[in-house]
Amino acid sequence: MKQLICLCVVLCLCGCETVQPWERGTLAKREMQWQADAMEISLQAQINASKEASSGGQGAAGGGCGCN
Amino acid sequence: MASRPGDKHPALLALTSSALLLPAYQGVRADAPPEFTEIGLRYSKYEEDDTQGSKTFGGSSQRYDIDAAQFHLLAPVADNWAVAVDVQWEDMSGASPWFVGESLDGSPKVIMSGASIEDTRTEVSVTTRYYYDRGNAGFNYVRSKEDDYDSDAIALDGSVNSADGMTTYSGAISASSDDIEPTQGSVPTNTIKADKDIRSAWVGVSRIVSKNAIVRFGLSYTYRDGFLTDPYKLYDQRPDERKEWAVSTGYRQYFFWPNGALHADYRYFDDDWGIASHTLDLAWHQNLGNDTQLIPFLRYYSQDEADFFANIANTDQRYYSEDYRLSAFGAVSGGLRLRHTIGNWAITAVGERYETDESWGVYSGEESPALVDYWRYSFGLDYIFK
Repeated sequence: MKQLICLCVVLCLCGCETVQPWERGTLAKREMQWQADAMEISLQAQINASKEASSGGQGAAGGGCGCN
Repeated sequence: MASRPGDKHPALLALTSSALLLPAYQGVRADAPPEFTEIGLRYSKYEEDDTQGSKTFGGSSQRYDIDAAQFHLLAPVADNWAVAVDVQWEDMSGASPWFVGESLDGSPKVIMSGASIEDTRTEVSVTTRYYYDRGNAGFNYVRSKEDDYDSDAIALDGSVNSADGMTTYSGAISASSDDIEPTQGSVPTNTIKADKDIRSAWVGVSRIVSKNAIVRFGLSYTYRDGFLTDPYKLYDQRPDERKEWAVSTGYRQYFFWPNGALHADYRYFDDDWGIASHTLDLAWHQNLGNDTQLIPFLRYYSQDEADFFANIANTDQRYYSEDYRLSAFGAVSGGLRLRHTIGNWAITAVGERYETDESWGVYSGEESPALVDYWRYSFGLDYIFK
């Protein structure tokens, strides 16, 4: 698994075409954002963390809650 | 202060920064502060299915219902600063699994907490962010207060773009101090008063792959120290520290036909309690004209059980737990989001269904009788002051 992830990282980082600043209009669209809806993502992450044993991965963990 | 002829106007600077020097790491952290103030409101209804009578002593029982309201404000402050305020209120009621017993035929059955548990939670989060030429840095404070749980957390994060803007390097650290004081009365509790601390660090890199695609990778480490036992479970005794690692990746690809974007995210999680998990999120953001987006989404999750999990806890062991959340199971959830813009307003609606089953996971283990399924609905309104 670790080797596969490392391979993917290397391939993705090396295999990119150069995109000039004026060619990045599509990447600025709302539907291309990492978090298109921050409130929705935040609520979903909180629910998942309170019903499953895993959390995190997209930033530092922050505080806890007594959510059961 | 009057602008000199050579100075860029802040609005122009923001526009050129966002349009021409688009960083590889986008989303809530861009290179320029927001041009306009934005506010948003959400109401969400969360409803867990009743426990099945065949898996419960005492027949079917109602589980948690939660009403949640969210408020979001994002505003530019001065030339290079922005402030965000998020407030969330929750009102929850229902019963929770208390312990698991063995029925006459030998199958495990759950005993619920009986009387309905009532609780409220208020969370306030304030973030200030400074934007500089090739990135930004933020400071965040979060306070969460419940009847039986208080948490104070701070976080620092930052990102910097490569000179060509193709790659963005990001990092974040956080610390929290949590106090637990279980509500007495409904069930006996494992502690009267306890605390725990959480420390976390994350690094990430994102990269523009093509004119229409972007990829990211992240690595996080979280250390929890203190009272990690569930205070309301009858047979629950967990280690007082936990070390967690998560590796994540994400991909966004835009398709001119049919004018939509694919979102794919994956996370692998591992910890020193013996839990490992895989999470795969997929979403399709379909544009319908200029004002409407329809977003179907699907999520698959599978986790291994903790080393000390058993349906019928062996209390002779040093650590033990019957908590279904530490069992091996798979979960599939899916739903639909709708966003429609009318002038400066935007309306959002979300419906989601989440279901679990031990046989759906890639890991095998004892099936807990307390696995949870739920429905969630959200409705929201956003406004931008421009």
